[in-house]
Amino acid sequence: MRLFISFLLILFVLSSSFAQTDTNHRDKVKTLEKVSIFKRKKKKLATDVKLTALVDELLGTSDNISFIKRGAYAWEPLLNNMTTERSVITVDGMHVFGACTDKMDPISSYMESNSISSIKINSGQHGNMQGATVAGSIDLQRISTPFGQDKAWSGSYQTGFEFNNNQTFNLGNISYSSAKFVADGSVGYRKAGNYTDGSGNEINHSQYSKFNTSLGLAYKTSELSSIKVDAIFDQANNVGFPALPMDLWLSRAIITAASYQQQFETGLLRVWDTKAYFNAIEHYMDDTNRPENLVHMDMPGWSTTYGLTSRVELKQGSYQGELQLNAYDNLSIAEMTMYPQDRSERTMFAYTWPWVTTRYAGVSSSNTWNLSPISEVNIGASVGTHYNYARYSEFNRIFYPEASESKTRFLPSLNARYQLSLDKFRILLGTGFGQRAPSVSEGYGYYIYNSFDLYDYIGNPDLPNETSYEVNAAINYESEKWSISSQVNAFHIRNYIVGKILSIGSPMNYQSVGVKAYSALEYARLFNIAISGRYDILQHLHWKGTLTYARATDNNSVNLPFIRPLHYQSSLQFMHKKMGIQAAINGDLSQNNFSPEYGETPTQAYAVFDLSGDYTFNLGKHHLTVQVGIENMFDSFYTTYADWGNIPRMGRNVFTTLKTHF
Amino acid sequence: MSCTKEKTNYLEETSREIPEVFDFQEASSMLVDRYRISIEALNGTFYTGYNELRVRITDTQTGETINPDSIQFIPISKIADGVVTSCPHLFQLQKSTQNAYWEGYSIFIDEQLPNPTWKLYVNLVVGQQNYTATSDITTKEQLNKNLNKTLFRGNDSLDYMIALVSPRNPQVGTNPIIAGIFKRITTTHLAEFVPLSPSYYQYVAVNDHTLELDPRMPEPSMGNHSSPNNVNLSQRNDGFYEGVVNYTMTGNWTLNFILKDARNTIVKGNAVSTAFTPGVQGVKGELHIDILF
Ligand SMILES: [Cu+2]
Repeated sequence: MRLFISFLLILFVLSSSFAQTDTNHRDKVKTLEKVSIFKRKKKKLATDVKLTALVDELLGTSDNISFIKRGAYAWEPLLNNMTTERSVITVDGMHVFGACTDKMDPISSYMESNSISSIKINSGQHGNMQGATVAGSIDLQRISTPFGQDKAWSGSYQTGFEFNNNQTFNLGNISYSSAKFVADGSVGYRKAGNYTDGSGNEINHSQYSKFNTSLGLAYKTSELSSIKVDAIFDQANNVGFPALPMDLWLSRAIITAASYQQQFETGLLRVWDTKAYFNAIEHYMDDTNRPENLVHMDMPGWSTTYGLTSRVELKQGSYQGELQLNAYDNLSIAEMTMYPQDRSERTMFAYTWPWVTTRYAGVSSSNTWNLSPISEVNIGASVGTHYNYARYSEFNRIFYPEASESKTRFLPSLNARYQLSLDKFRILLGTGFGQRAPSVSEGYGYYIYNSFDLYDYIGNPDLPNETSYEVNAAINYESEKWSISSQVNAFHIRNYIVGKILSIGSPMNYQSVGVKAYSALEYARLFNIAISGRYDILQHLHWKGTLTYARATDNNSVNLPFIRPLHYQSSLQFMHKKMGIQAAINGDLSQNNFSPEYGETPTQAYAVFDLSGDYTFNLGKHHLTVQVGIENMFDSFYTTYADWGNIPRMGRNVFTTLKTHF
Repeated sequence: MSCTKEKTNYLEETSREIPEVFDFQEASSMLVDRYRISIEALNGTFYTGYNELRVRITDTQTGETINPDSIQFIPISKIADGVVTSCPHLFQLQKSTQNAYWEGYSIFIDEQLPNPTWKLYVNLVVGQQNYTATSDITTKEQLNKNLNKTLFRGNDSLDYMIALVSPRNPQVGTNPIIAGIFKRITTTHLAEFVPLSPSYYQYVAVNDHTLELDPRMPEPSMGNHSSPNNVNLSQRNDGFYEGVVNYTMTGNWTLNFILKDARNTIVKGNAVSTAFTPGVQGVKGELHIDILF
């Protein structure tokens, strides 16, 4: 362990002293275009109606993403209707692990919309480049200014106010770009009060405040090589989680990286990119604003990760490929101290994550062959070793006396995809196989209270790997005026990990009704379909629409929880000169396939209308855009299938944004 | 990087309630003829409840440690004029594996004594010769609740005692638990103490019983919380009873017991409620010992 860390530290120092970043942007883009094999979803960073949105709202613009919401902040992104244990979420390819046993801090919560430039989502086994996954991967990519921009200095500033929860935000970016040196930075601060639902009730404990800043420095060491250092700092204070029995007092993340990139003009090897990284998260929950709680608890958590990625891009003739090494070491610690009613009595202590180390090292490769000008085949593979060790494994042995001290797993992944482009049609057929290891909570969690089904959860270190078999297909028709696409995927997942009621043990958290052990189902099946279309009605009037549907059951045909019912969204966008108007509707049909076994109650259909207008003008030398909009225009009172504890969503919200850049 | 809140020092956390224990030190000594008898106890102190004892004999003339043929040991307390009692103890001391000292134990009970002072009797057999010595000792209250004991009257109208021996320093997780179970028998109280007389073994080990275990946290906020995978205590070769107790977290725990004899008849104890009752103090069984760590 120590050796490993020193190794990483040396690499870290080496790469920070020598190495790396984005070479000439144009080069890079070109390379990427050439080597880009998977269908990469680069999202433009705005929603249909909002110019300046939360990272979560941006993520939500993807058809594959839905959310479990525990409040107004830090939504848990579900990829292909699967929770975060099943996806790999990275920041610029770096693994970051949350420090909250109650999932208050998905990695996306440590970003701000002005600190990222794009979000890359790969579905299923096509997301295996960063490591073992079942659902796919989400990579949040930090802003990155190219070398040699025409303007040396550029910047932007966005500010706004949202009336429903008195949210204010101020987001500023500045960058400097010369032929040899690039610096970019972002600062963002948001503060919001409680929001009000569609019935006019204030949702207590839904406030938040967040500060985020990031800095990147890149230096071109030669025509074809560069070094780069990056850092992101994020701090959230006083964040309410109305659906949970606790709030967040403070959560803080520092995410740092040093990287080196070398490009090659000729030969098989085109790009070599190596990065060493370190990130640390601290997370402190707070129940002191919940006098209704019978028991006062302290539940701090820490997560520290060291990692290394190194990747090469290859190209020769009709072949292009990518080879990537990933290694990381994470230590996750979470504590629970319960205070007795008589405070003079002894406090009670346990680890909810008993110092769990996860070490992963794996190699992934993706290879594409252009079979003909209209068809290509892609084959990807990845193998990794996954090692877990709990320093205080005696906690886990209470429930599993035979639990092994440490556990090493071998995680293979394979995927294949065939793509055919016929005139305006594009057809994709794919399949995949992959395994993932249990998460820290699933393997080593100890009395983690789940306020959704009211059970205390116990991890099992010897759970089998979750094994996914997947098929997917997509068809896409695109013409000048309109396009339509449909994608479907189906997963058969063996050893699907869920909580099963345990006959032994009694609850520890006072709200709890029993103990559940993370257990492997024989299998579960998930099916997702999305159909989306676009139509340019007039030159300046565009329509967009999406329909998604999903179904998921376990081996006893019991519904799995948090599966989105039929969902639709549709938007109209009108632009005239310097003015734009956007109108959107989105909603779910009623949730009929809910899962009482997993604590779900049915939710009703809802529809929400949004409307916004923006206007761009110049004020002296400044280029300004103002937007005024209204979300949930008709003040619908609604809750969705994925609102934790069915907390109502926000009612009518008027928002304003002012955006300027130079 | 330093954190806003420090991580808990787990070692410190789990030993916070446990009085510090140093090494074995001499707690009493006596001289008989040319022999010096040194009785060692943890911290050099005799505590109420279970005490592990080490006895060393030195020949004062040569200054060397000697190994007698056997050593007998008995603690005696005077109840009234002419009436004395003893407590559970090991009468025939046993040589330690390395022959460095002799091992024994004494479980002092002071609760029922009007005048809780004790006299230790040690008899050495060297060659054919008996050497008997005594010394007066006092006991201190055991502050480590993990060595608590309980004295009770069984359904058979006999007086029993259960004393915890181990773990002295429990951990969250699985702990082997060792207890001594004794029963008081009526003896003739001789006016004059006769060393080595079985008449004074008022407490004898209880054999072939089972001590059923149900550990729970009595604290109201814990709602009668319990732990899984505990193992009832059964008798070992050395007479003590051993089982397994799981503690899911630090804090106050109540070990609820049911003592059953070899025919499975309940000597004492009742099954406690297994209901989870947040906010309500867990109801302890009629036979229980409280611990704290
Ligand atoms: Cu939390």
